[in-house]
Amino acid sequence: MSVQTYEVIFRIRRYSPEKGSYWQEYKLTVDRFTQFTEALRRIKTEQDPSLAYRASCHMAVCGSCGMKINGEPRLACKTLVSGIINKYGSNVITIEPMDYFPVIKDLIVDWEDFYTRMFKVKPRLYPAKEVLEGKGEHRLKPEDQRRLWKFAQCIWCGLCVSVCPVIREDPEFLGPAAHAKGYRFLTDPRDTITDERFKILSDSAWRCTYCYHCFSVCPRDIEPVTAIKKTRALTKYVKEPTNVTFNGVKHSEAIAGSIKTTGKIMESLVYLQTYGLSRSLKDLIFIAKAGRGGSLISSILEEKPVKNVSEIKKLFEG
Amino acid sequence: MPRDVLSYDVLVIGSGLAGLRAALQAEIASNGKARVAVISKLQVMRSHSVAAEGGTSAVLRPEEGDSIELYMWDTIKGGDFLSDQDAVERYCRLMTSEVLFLDHLGLPWERRPDGRIDQRPFGGQSFPRACYAGDKIGFFEMHTLYDNLLRFDNVDFFEEHFVTSLLIRDKTFYGVTAIDMKTGDLRVFLGKAGIIATGGAGQIYKFTTNARTLTGDGYAIAYRAGIPLEDMEFVQFHPTGLVPSGVLITEAARGEGAILLNNKGERFMARYAPNMMELAPRDIVSRAMMTEILEGRGFKDEESGMEYILEDMRHIGRDRILRKLNNIRELALRYNKIDIIEQPIPVRPAQHFMMGGVRADIDGKVLYADGTWVKGLWGAGEAANVGVHGANRLGSNGTGVCLVWGRLTGEQAAKYALEHQNDSISVPEDQVEKEEKRIYDGLLHGRGGGENHYKIREELRETMDKYVGIFRDEKGLTIALKKIKELKERFKEIYIEDKSLAYNTDLIMAMETQNMLDVAEVIATGALARKESRGAHYRTDYPKRDDQNFLKHTLAVMGPDGSPQLEYVPVKIVYWLPVERKY
Repeated sequence: MSVQTYEVIFRIRRYSPEKGSYWQEYKLTVDRFTQFTEALRRIKTEQDPSLAYRASCHMAVCGSCGMKINGEPRLACKTLVSGIINKYGSNVITIEPMDYFPVIKDLIVDWEDFYTRMFKVKPRLYPAKEVLEGKGEHRLKPEDQRRLWKFAQCIWCGLCVSVCPVIREDPEFLGPAAHAKGYRFLTDPRDTITDERFKILSDSAWRCTYCYHCFSVCPRDIEPVTAIKKTRALTKYVKEPTNVTFNGVKHSEAIAGSIKTTGKIMESLVYLQTYGLSRSLKDLIFIAKAGRGGSLISSILEEKPVKNVSEIKKLFEG
Repeated sequence: MPRDVLSYDVLVIGSGLAGLRAALQAEIASNGKARVAVISKLQVMRSHSVAAEGGTSAVLRPEEGDSIELYMWDTIKGGDFLSDQDAVERYCRLMTSEVLFLDHLGLPWERRPDGRIDQRPFGGQSFPRACYAGDKIGFFEMHTLYDNLLRFDNVDFFEEHFVTSLLIRDKTFYGVTAIDMKTGDLRVFLGKAGIIATGGAGQIYKFTTNARTLTGDGYAIAYRAGIPLEDMEFVQFHPTGLVPSGVLITEAARGEGAILLNNKGERFMARYAPNMMELAPRDIVSRAMMTEILEGRGFKDEESGMEYILEDMRHIGRDRILRKLNNIRELALRYNKIDIIEQPIPVRPAQHFMMGGVRADIDGKVLYADGTWVKGLWGAGEAANVGVHGANRLGSNGTGVCLVWGRLTGEQAAKYALEHQNDSISVPEDQVEKEEKRIYDGLLHGRGGGENHYKIREELRETMDKYVGIFRDEKGLTIALKKIKELKERFKEIYIEDKSLAYNTDLIMAMETQNMLDVAEVIATGALARKESRGAHYRTDYPKRDDQNFLKHTLAVMGPDGSPQLEYVPVKIVYWLPVERKY
């Protein structure tokens, strides 16, 4: 049996404080099982010892080797070179550091911001006093263990944070990884600081835009956005909702109401119901001043309910 | 030149399971008073403990027939009677509370329907006593400990700091030097107490389940400081490394029922361990697999040229595989395009663990060859040999020893450091200057010859695979030693191409290779001198265990010429005399 190999050109985005950033190309022959971490190791040890990257476990559990491969955020050890060649139909492959994280050298990025986010959610169990003092023993039902299981799998690889658009715009948003971690404890029946967790998580959860980038890049299928949805679903237990939470709930209710009564999202109606008359008017004037008032008003006037809306109502009631 | 000097009560070197457990216990024991620095060459949660898969054993169900005595016997017999039996007893007794401790901290142990912690069978354990969380136990243990450590204001993490030497004066530990990889500067950490928790050295072998980063750094810095390494010739080969990547297929797979098949479709373990079959201890299963391969009953992977055995899990069934072995299913799917639900996978023994380590007593105190304590210094986890594993570690005891000796050493170190808080320690300028010269003048800016240190590393790994593997003999070990000495000579002529300071992983990898060379030399020397077969150390020219001459621990101390000198110390036999080992 002949061994299948591939001649590959790796274009690597390099950076050093002295040289700035630049692209460098390396040629390498790989086989069908070569992981990207192995390709990088061979480039470093056989061609260019100055290339810097992080990698350790080579089995997708330590979280060291997040990077962009052909623009996609991936774990390098979890990705086979042959897979990328087949997917893109090209033997030229680009490798870049993750987005959002500041680059220190080549593919090595600074993690401080990520850690700060994770630490904010008090990522640990606060058990009952009797248990801590050894007077009681935890029981955890298998189904409860299953519920938190998925969200406890985060390996802190940072890929979800690197693609999150909200993190870049909204300093109050905790980010996808922190929400997954936070929800894992929020839903653990052994935990005792539920109110405090709501305080930390609820407001931030309503800042997510549900773009699902975190969902698609997570190498452990954790679905951070699902954790955020589940956190939102518990809003009724939040004792002191913030404005963001309050408006978020109203926005959801307005959308549901709009669909129920008109069969679609009537933007103007949803806006009015979420923010109230005076804020809506203020915003309308702001938009009008920016010269966009005409098109906004015409689009409001053109909004009509769908036909057979009674069928949709039935869905809601059924 | 002004130097960056940091002072702490306790320095924990290494941020794996043992290191984190030690740091946490130092805080708990001192009520958060002890100032602890956790120093790691990796980012904290990247340590290879996160890759531990199958479980952590403990006696939880005496009412169902398990007992401390049974657990001790399993561990001692598994270790082929080289275990210090007092250390085994302490270990087995403390494990129960460790499992409950982690439960209190929130670890999602797998549960029985009644909500209590579930346990699974493991190799060499005569009762199902491995507590588990899917097949990712190390991951959950690490995260649980780390999350809880963050509560304490007095713990500082120094990530990506590569420790280059121990500072010891008058047989007393007082700090370390470390390269801050981010800046490339040498920093001095002064500490009243230190704990070596740097893990193993799997990278000295080519086919290993270990991370690329496990290069025996802790062994080497201790060894160069005059501290003996103990029983290093006992290297564990895990039976089931995935071919060709070497990725670990957990023993829990066999715990759940996986069987091993040769090219005749035989379940060959029946010939080697008729009672325990695939769940015999790792040394026995690995040797059986290699015997099958060497006698022509294996399979061959044409691409890599590697020979293998098949591990079959199909009969376990889809549901149980998805629930309990999902991680390894993903691994085999990803790296071999094989679904374990439908097809067997190719496996062969892969280097996995070092039974030996820095010599330490039952408390984890690091000892010189003459038995005196290196004051202020402890060791824990794979880096230290406290005497539990003997000549062969049982599966699911590795994480346990990290936890128990992390706890024991963390507590002692914090107490000791606070008692000695007023001792003044000053920077040992001479030692630090010597280290600076060695690293920056000698290695980074050294003229060097034409030697490529990456080549030296690869040649070392090939040599170890070939001659210091599962089957050893005098001829092969002699060749290996000669080769290692040659590589050590060649290392003096290496050239570091990258001259920059920030994240100079060229320099760091060269220093790792230097550590690997020293450790490999100790292993080969110890293996050559041990003319018997015991546990994981198997000599084809001395195939029997020889209790008359070798029921003793090997100590290797660096001699004046830089090569190891061997001494032996007795094994602590408290309960059971050696008997024939059958499974």
